[in-house]
Amino acid sequence: MTLLYRLASMAKWIVGRERAEQRLDDEMRAYLDLSAADKVRDGVPAAEARRLAVIELGGVEQAKERVRAARHGAVLDDIGRDVRHALRLLARQRTFTVVIVLTLALGIGANTAIFSIVDSLVLRTLPVKDPARLVVLVAGPQTTWTNPIWEEIQRRGDLVDGAFAWSRFDAEFNLSRGGETQLVSGVWASANSFTVLGVMPMLGRTFEPADDARGGGPGGPVAVISYAFWQRHFGGARDVVGRALMLDRTPLTIVGVTPREFSGLNPGRMFDVAVPLGAEPLIRGRESRLDRRTSWWLAVMARLKRGQTAEQATAAIRGVQPQIREATLPPGRAERYLSEPLTFQAAATGRSGLRDQYQRPLTVILVVVGLVLLIACANIANLLLARATARGHEWSVRLALGASRGRLARQLLIESLILAALGAAASLVIAQWASDLLVAQLSRDSVFLDLPLDWRMLGVTAVIAVVAALVFGVAPAMRAARGTPIDALKDRGRSNAATGRVSIANGLVLTQVILSMVLLVCAGLFLRTFDKLMHVPLGLDRDRVLITDIDARRADLELQSRLATYERIRERVLRIPGVTSAGLSVIAPLSGALWSRRVEVSGSSRVRTDDVDGPEGFGYTSRPIPDASPLAIFNGISPGWIATYGTPLLAGRDISERDGPESPRVALVNQAFARKFLGGANPVGHTVHPYRDAGSPVIEIVGLVSDSVLRTVREPSLPTVYVPFSQTEDDPKPVPPPEVSLSVRAASTSPAALTKSVAAAVGDINSTLALTSYSLADQLSETLVQERLLAMLSASFGGLALLMAAVGLYGVTSYAVNLRRVEIGIRMALGATRVAVMRLVLARVTLLVGAGIVGGLAIASWASRYVGSLLYGLDPGDPITFAASAATLAVIGAVAGWVPAHRASRLDPTQVLSDM
Amino acid sequence: MDKLDIPQGTLELMILTILSREPLHGYGISQRLASLSHDNFQVNPGSLFPSLYRLEQDGKLKAEWRASENNRNAKYYAITAAGRKQLEQHRRRWDRISFAIASVLEGA
Repeated sequence: MTLLYRLASMAKWIVGRERAEQRLDDEMRAYLDLSAADKVRDGVPAAEARRLAVIELGGVEQAKERVRAARHGAVLDDIGRDVRHALRLLARQRTFTVVIVLTLALGIGANTAIFSIVDSLVLRTLPVKDPARLVVLVAGPQTTWTNPIWEEIQRRGDLVDGAFAWSRFDAEFNLSRGGETQLVSGVWASANSFTVLGVMPMLGRTFEPADDARGGGPGGPVAVISYAFWQRHFGGARDVVGRALMLDRTPLTIVGVTPREFSGLNPGRMFDVAVPLGAEPLIRGRESRLDRRTSWWLAVMARLKRGQTAEQATAAIRGVQPQIREATLPPGRAERYLSEPLTFQAAATGRSGLRDQYQRPLTVILVVVGLVLLIACANIANLLLARATARGHEWSVRLALGASRGRLARQLLIESLILAALGAAASLVIAQWASDLLVAQLSRDSVFLDLPLDWRMLGVTAVIAVVAALVFGVAPAMRAARGTPIDALKDRGRSNAATGRVSIANGLVLTQVILSMVLLVCAGLFLRTFDKLMHVPLGLDRDRVLITDIDARRADLELQSRLATYERIRERVLRIPGVTSAGLSVIAPLSGALWSRRVEVSGSSRVRTDDVDGPEGFGYTSRPIPDASPLAIFNGISPGWIATYGTPLLAGRDISERDGPESPRVALVNQAFARKFLGGANPVGHTVHPYRDAGSPVIEIVGLVSDSVLRTVREPSLPTVYVPFSQTEDDPKPVPPPEVSLSVRAASTSPAALTKSVAAAVGDINSTLALTSYSLADQLSETLVQERLLAMLSASFGGLALLMAAVGLYGVTSYAVNLRRVEIGIRMALGATRVAVMRLVLARVTLLVGAGIVGGLAIASWASRYVGSLLYGLDPGDPITFAASAATLAVIGAVAGWVPAHRASRLDPTQVLSDM
Repeated sequence: MDKLDIPQGTLELMILTILSREPLHGYGISQRLASLSHDNFQVNPGSLFPSLYRLEQDGKLKAEWRASENNRNAKYYAITAAGRKQLEQHRRRWDRISFAIASVLEGA
């Protein structure tokens, strides 16, 4: 009760301030009137009575002040006064305020922007029911499973409170019936996915168990669409349920729409359409992966029973692992299959390829922007300190008049907090803009990150701002609290406080130099990595090739006539003016796809072994190819492909039209292959034999080509076998492959200009093929997005840090010169030369910068180990980077120190001495 | 005549007691306090008003502006139900204290 009264009264005091003050004044006057009137009645003269009454009251203003101080919330009043005082002050020193607010806005904005991306990718939990009970199935590094394995797990679903599977890599569906591809991103999901997740439809229904039947449920195949796709494609039509949706030329029925907050299971990727696993053979036809025991494409998630721990669930699944293994064993290799123990892992934040890919770079950038903010804080602290010294006199006077030190410190902290608040407000604009820009840079695909300006973001911004205010506000506040009244009586220029300020400022500048050094090294490492990657010898002509992906899965094209059609396309394209050669391949360079097999090579000293781990099969993986493994990379190519990419043929012959399906198996290999399997000997005449089926034909090596990149730029030389397109076997892709890449070589260096004519040429042969075109150069820069982003961001932040350190150095040196004006004047009067004066000033700068560089190098050489895995072609301790960074910092430091040193040397001794 | 200092913590008790009879303005309270204490206590307005504001803020008193006996507009304080409850508590405590002190002094 009492508390309510107090609050109400405090509110009245704050809101109706004027009125309350007026009332208080009235009451005091009434007291005086009444008291004076009494005294007059007792015979005192009116003027004297009034005077006595005022004395009795103890002064009108003093009495009012005592009442104010006694009220609850009096502290708020004080703070309010401090805030108003601070605002007046900041408004008066506009340049000072603007500089600080902008510095802070940049610092805080960068932090908020990066944090919002990290938050969305890494920290945010799935928008589903009780996500803490969701676990994901892994086995060592393995996170994907074959459908036969999933079916075995599904049959044992009672081990947990339901399990479901979905396609780990986004499927892409084509909405169009032919010609230009209209892709939507889709996900294959087992029918119980939404039920186990606890995602309720916002329209219609989600999947039912019957939907999972092979070939679709009783009412034909169905699809559930996302809110975003519903809005984008159907304009949010209420009657969308029941409508037909063409996916890869297969009609499906839309049965429901998921709620807005559910963006899918792979964070960072938007899903448009979910299709039950059972409908997969219907859409993918012969390429169906449902029964393949070697297609690892499903992620499996489970919901724990109430009270069940992840360890208990893991124990349960390991108990049945031998049976699962037995039931799903693929033909051929056996030893290592499913030998790693299965494990259920907490999955509350979902699985994301995007997250795996960007987590480390984002963490690095998060640290970088944190350091930049720290440097900014040091600069602001220095500015505040300089101003505090200017105000030292005012404070000493206030201290002498009885203000408490705490009170002065509080006022300074309030000023800092106000600056931080203004900076934080401005940073929200910068953050929003910067995070949009970053997300746009991350990838050109449909990267979808939900980055709302919500309370989380505001909260983080507020916390960063308060911490920043404390960091840059504490030093000046402490100095204020240390001042003594006697300082007011002394000449300011010679007081201890001023020299004390120089030592704090020196410390701050030293910190800045050290941190800038670390950031410069970081920027240097990433810049050099990017530069190295841009100049990796690709082994192919990056500027002349246009790639067109051809998708024949749903085209009007008989299986038997595919090969002939491809060949006709190649011949037709060759007739386009400006095309000098053309070739087809199963895998396009830099597409990220990998097709690898275990092989035996005649004459190789390698022993046949199954016992080495490595990615095997066809898929998108970034796992390295261990040198110890018998794995070789395969690609199927047509005649002309090697010439199209300008890869030199070093020995033997190229494959030709005569190497058809019926002729003897032949292959080209690259130098890396010869090195790995034959110790660098000429491979022509040797044979290659893939491990798995004993009956498969032996392939004869007929040519040696030079190394070229295939999977990523970071692997310029994977041991590769090029087999003729027409001789690719039925694994993993059936003959002839339904998806191929057509590469054409342009006579000019602008291959993109050929896009239209190539599409028209393909359309002449078959107008129902789906096409996607891009130049090799574009593909290259696309694959280097992460490296470019890291280099760009770390370089800009490193530059910013350097600039701020330079400003700090300049500031503290100028200040020190100013303090020593008299000393310098006397020295010069006594005959010191200008050079000697400059040396005097620069000695300090050299000491600061030198110490900073040494400290920075030490920290950088320790910290750079953590970015080692992001580098390419250089060590984390790359001496060139370290030396160049130190040199840059030394030069900038010299410039920042030279200006005030030069000014000191231009001092006019007579002027200085007459000022004394 | 020398005035006595008002013992710590008793000013509120006296204010509440005085106001429990009739509403009064600040000057009236100080006059009443002086006369009731036979001029032993002279409350300093610098302490009186802060106490009045606190009691009002806590809801023990409510205030109202009206004309005084000599037609001056003044702020009259009146005790509230919560104020009476507090008065009773304070009164009981004070009675115990004075009884205890008196007993000690007499027993000595």
